[in-house]
Amino acid sequence: MTTTRHYFDKELEALHLQLIKMGSLVEESIENTILALKKQDVELARKIFWNDDVIDGMEQKIEKMCLNLIARQQPLAGDLRTISTALKIITDMERIADHSADIAEITIRMANEKYIKPLIDIPRMAELAKQMVNKAIDAFIRQDMGLAREVCRSDDAVDDLFSRIVLELINIVKNDPETIEQVINFMFIAKYLERMADHATNIGEWVVFNVTGEHAHLARHENKDDRINNPFVKNTIGDG
Amino acid sequence: MDDNNNGLKIYTENLNLFYGDIHALKEVNIEVEEKKVTALIGPSGCGKSTFLKTLNRMNDLIPAVRITGDVYLDSLNVYRQYDIVELRKRIGMVFQKPNPFPMSVYDNIAYGPRIHGVRSKSKLDEIVYRSLTNAALWNEVKDRLRQNALGLSGGQQQRLCIARVLAVEPEVVLMDEPTSALDPISTLKIEDLIDELKGKYTIVIVTHNMQQAGRISDKTAFFLHGEIVEYNDTEKIFSRPNDKRTEDYITGRFG
Amino acid sequence: MRVKPQTTDRIATMAIYAVACLVVLLLVFFVGYLLCHGASRLNLHFILSSPVFMKEGGGIGPQLFNSLYLVFLSMLITLPVGLSAGIYMAEYAKPNRLTAAIRFCIEALASLPSIVIGLFGLLVFVNLTGWSYTLIGGALAVSILNLPVITRISEDAIRSVPPSIKEASLALGATRWQTIVKVIIPSAVPGLVTGAVIASGRVFGEAAALLYTAGMSSPNLNFSNLNPFSASSPLNPFRPAETLAVYIWQVNSEGLAPDARQIADGASAILIIAVFLFNIGSRLLGRRIKARFAGKESGRRIVKI
Repeated sequence: MTTTRHYFDKELEALHLQLIKMGSLVEESIENTILALKKQDVELARKIFWNDDVIDGMEQKIEKMCLNLIARQQPLAGDLRTISTALKIITDMERIADHSADIAEITIRMANEKYIKPLIDIPRMAELAKQMVNKAIDAFIRQDMGLAREVCRSDDAVDDLFSRIVLELINIVKNDPETIEQVINFMFIAKYLERMADHATNIGEWVVFNVTGEHAHLARHENKDDRINNPFVKNTIGDG
Repeated sequence: MDDNNNGLKIYTENLNLFYGDIHALKEVNIEVEEKKVTALIGPSGCGKSTFLKTLNRMNDLIPAVRITGDVYLDSLNVYRQYDIVELRKRIGMVFQKPNPFPMSVYDNIAYGPRIHGVRSKSKLDEIVYRSLTNAALWNEVKDRLRQNALGLSGGQQQRLCIARVLAVEPEVVLMDEPTSALDPISTLKIEDLIDELKGKYTIVIVTHNMQQAGRISDKTAFFLHGEIVEYNDTEKIFSRPNDKRTEDYITGRFG
Repeated sequence: MRVKPQTTDRIATMAIYAVACLVVLLLVFFVGYLLCHGASRLNLHFILSSPVFMKEGGGIGPQLFNSLYLVFLSMLITLPVGLSAGIYMAEYAKPNRLTAAIRFCIEALASLPSIVIGLFGLLVFVNLTGWSYTLIGGALAVSILNLPVITRISEDAIRSVPPSIKEASLALGATRWQTIVKVIIPSAVPGLVTGAVIASGRVFGEAAALLYTAGMSSPNLNFSNLNPFSASSPLNPFRPAETLAVYIWQVNSEGLAPDARQIADGASAILIIAVFLFNIGSRLLGRRIKARFAGKESGRRIVKI
């Protein structure tokens, strides 16, 4: 039994498919970036870099679709939330892909150098960030609030890892000032990964909004005071 | 001024209405807030117009109608404690199709005050001027007050009907789909008018047009099969209704 | 051979025009014939002077006056009663068996032959009351004839006022009666005027019902005496009053005067003219009343919104 507005429903489905497609492109980008970083694979890194254009194109396309739907279909209630969620998460997804491309760019720059130390925490952090992005996109596809909240909770772990990595890198530089270039690069990579996790959290929050109509900020850093008291000096998370 | 009833201009208790055997309104309990616009939405035949007419007892005109339950205006029972002429002076009504009397513009507006006893020409002149100004119609008709009202366009006629209601200085204005017979520009002019009026009058409007309800109302009630399914702030109803039936109706998904 | 729809359409249009022309020609011929034949008597002397017994040169003055006065009196009776009945039927009567019975009676009354009404009038308004032949008796009899028409027309005119207007009036706090008096009746005025014109036309032309009620004679009337209670005043309703239609019949059947033929023709012509003038006059009056109620008609629709 078809309900009324099934033409609109078809358009919403098409929108959904485009979002899924963009999501999978973003996931692929992160996957490749981590791989390229570990293996110092310049070709792969270049591919990621150029693919970012495709993702940017998708963001524009989906944005156009959404604005079109708003203008022509006067969406209300659930439909309105769905479309505004779509508009917001494409921004986050596009930023995630940008950061991924930024990491790829750094990989290319460090292509001919040997890494100052074997990468342990950074891949771990990257893995976490990647999982968060995957879960966030899944949560959106399945409108799964539980999954979305999980994503938001994971952000704390990523932030902690970030603090640890930064401390470690500072120690390395203090010991050997010659390593400053790579250290800076790795700091940037860590920062990009931390931002990716933040964006994934945003996506999670928007999924919750889509379901409940409330937009709550769910990623509350537990040890918020630490940010004020300079975590780069004081070590508050276990041993460095 | 109305502190004794918490800013509730009108409220109903267990209101039921029967057309013969048909149970048209079922246990309707609603509180209409003072000086706000309350919209009644719902599919055709769901009872919203019928409900509107219980507020000013226009249903009394239909012989087969039976009403149980109570309606209160300013805490007094509409069916037991009000004289019907006095009631209709305090609660005015604008209908779906503009229905000006086949008289001059002036006489249309002056009709209400005249039947309530105003005789002085200067007073009537003043009332006509004030009502037409409040209805945003004065400038368009000031040179043709003595001409037949039926020569006005549809949108003007409807504003004339609004002015006619305002002339008796009601406290509540009921509107039964006032713009459904009008073109988009007239519709918007009347919506602007409603926006201006809401500071002074309590307005209850029945509308088929969802976007209109969203644009002009403060609170919205969704009627279905004679019952109120949901009644809440308009913002809430249109962004995140509680009941799935409301959501389906608002998003246009009818099985 | 199939006839094309356009051909049928053209034939029908021509036929309708032809019939319309026929009707107009009929009227023109009829009126023209009468006016021609009565032309000899279309002068002021004929209109104002009294009939002369068995001699030439009589006029129709009193009879013309009686006709006009009778129309006036009968309208005075019929219009309020008929209008009230029409209001009742349109606004107050519930659709039940009683109403159906009333409606049946009204329609039956409309189909009674006028001579029978006349005889009824004779029994009641002449003999029973002891008035003998009177103007008022004739007015009452003719009212019975006209009541169904006026009632019906009033009812239709009132029903034709859109219910939305009534609703609007009631919603403003008017009582039912105020709505009827201030909105419905004024809106229905054109229809009511039509009804009045039809009814009065009938009174002008009525002969059978007046034969035995208003009588076939007219006393000597002193037109300067305006006291309705005086016996010789023309305004006294309790006097015999031969109307113009009855007089035409009388002159034609008795024919004692030598110029009876011309008198009859002249009277007929005058009667027709009187009816036309009355018709036009009533419509103008109706239009006047409507304009006062409805305000000036705007010349064209104003497109502004």
